[in-house]
Amino acid sequence: MANAESQYAALWPRGPRQAKVKPLAKRLDTLEGKTVAWVWDYVFRGNEVFEQLEASLRQRYPGVKFLNWDLFGNTHGSDERNVVANLPQKLKELGADAVVSGMGC
Amino acid sequence: MLRASVAAESAGIPSATLVCESFMTLSKAASQGLGYPNIAVAPVRGHPGLQSKETLQQNVRELTLDGVLNALLKMPVAVTVDGEPGAQEVICSGTFEEINEYFLKHELSDGLPIVPPTVEKVEAFLRHTDRKADEVLGVMLPDNRAATVWSVAVNGVMAGCRPEYMPVLVAAVEAMADHDYGVEHSGNTPGGDNLIILNGPAIKYLDFNYTQGVMRDGFQANTSVGRFWRLYLRNVAGFLPHKNDKATFGNTWRVVVAENEDVVAKIGWTPNCADYGFAAGSNALSVGRYTGGNHISSVSGATPEELMPYIADAVVRQYSWQIMFSVGQGYDTLRPLLLLSPIIAETIASGGWSKEKFREELFKQARMPASMFEKILRDWTQKPTWNLTEEHQAGRIPKMFHESDDPERMVPLVWRPEDFQVVVTGDLGRNSIYVFAHNGVLGFPVCKEIKVPGK
Repeated sequence: MANAESQYAALWPRGPRQAKVKPLAKRLDTLEGKTVAWVWDYVFRGNEVFEQLEASLRQRYPGVKFLNWDLFGNTHGSDERNVVANLPQKLKELGADAVVSGMGC
Repeated sequence: MLRASVAAESAGIPSATLVCESFMTLSKAASQGLGYPNIAVAPVRGHPGLQSKETLQQNVRELTLDGVLNALLKMPVAVTVDGEPGAQEVICSGTFEEINEYFLKHELSDGLPIVPPTVEKVEAFLRHTDRKADEVLGVMLPDNRAATVWSVAVNGVMAGCRPEYMPVLVAAVEAMADHDYGVEHSGNTPGGDNLIILNGPAIKYLDFNYTQGVMRDGFQANTSVGRFWRLYLRNVAGFLPHKNDKATFGNTWRVVVAENEDVVAKIGWTPNCADYGFAAGSNALSVGRYTGGNHISSVSGATPEELMPYIADAVVRQYSWQIMFSVGQGYDTLRPLLLLSPIIAETIASGGWSKEKFREELFKQARMPASMFEKILRDWTQKPTWNLTEEHQAGRIPKMFHESDDPERMVPLVWRPEDFQVVVTGDLGRNSIYVFAHNGVLGFPVCKEIKVPGK
């Protein structure tokens, strides 16, 4: 018959976290005269969302510029790792000041 | 999306991530593992897939726009991450019931009772591997945790495995950590779950079921190793329902499927592991992720030619939106899986067909009209960029998808015959097959050798 009062000392089942908390990039003072890059995972009508955001942002900041999503590739597909790995370099080459990444749905 | 934003932030470029309102909890959980727990997101109301153009535009203007401006112009408040126990630390002591209550309360269990992972039990597992306890087999997103051999043993104990399964568990975690498998996608909305396919002498000496009811729980090896995978996904990768696991419906974990290598050898075919470069007779396991499947009953005919139309039709019927992993979201990453019951495989082989010949015929016959292929991707699931003609002309897909401009031309599901995975298993006396719908790049099949100590 099993002893219902047996005592156990149970171990932590998780692995050690590897990510350290990192600082976010400095935020912008304004979007006027800045370049915003649209970065997309090619799903959930992100292209239409970007179009509307672009129109709304132009109304507020007439001097804002945009980099279209097709310059960067699909951020959530078979080439995701390469696209994301190359993103910092590409954003710098194209002069991006800010990134809007969609769609998490 | 968050991973792209993190890439920008790491380069000193501020980001705004567009996240549907129901994904905010997932976003918060995932951002911790990425090292940016305070990264800013902009909400998207409802789901764009169910909104008119006018409603979508209005929602963007009324809600998302402000979220984008906040994210890009205002520095979010700094967030600290709570400390955790040490990797080999005892976290609670007590009776069986008390341990289980603690594990449930702290989200360390799958809802079934766990075997308390004590030092003695973990050490028993470690004696069945040559690997050092602190060896790191990989780093698992989204929690970004080290997958140590120690944690494999702990979760193996919890799942109800026997210590001698340890080499299988290590190989499974090596597969989970393989970049090609893409563990980071395991919490996506289709909620598919993995299937481990086992080959080699380990099937028999560890007593895995490889005959009738092979996908049924009730066999300790098949069942506990299957449960182990889900516990490890939960405790080390970090996929918790309502947090990092955003499966719309989800699946329960699948038990391990072992191949019937006696039948495979008898008919002169090669085992599944051979398709991944391992010799027949190797101890190896492959893992892929599948969104569902179907039992195809009473596959009838005396020759392979008579069997093929039903089999090919069954394969096509399993594939709807998943074809986006053939053309589109995951180019050339669709790998359909078929389980053939032994007498089906024997009937096919008795017609002189090799496994390769079977796959070639499947490739020829498992096709759908181009118009349907495009309709699923472009219209039904609102993917804006998929047109087979344009994709071919851009050089992104092979000519076989655009042999003519006839919209009713038949196009394949995959790019080549060997993309079909074929495994012989199941009831020795029944003429059925099982077809799995593969999840493409979000669980691409990988295969690992099972390294047995001293061999």
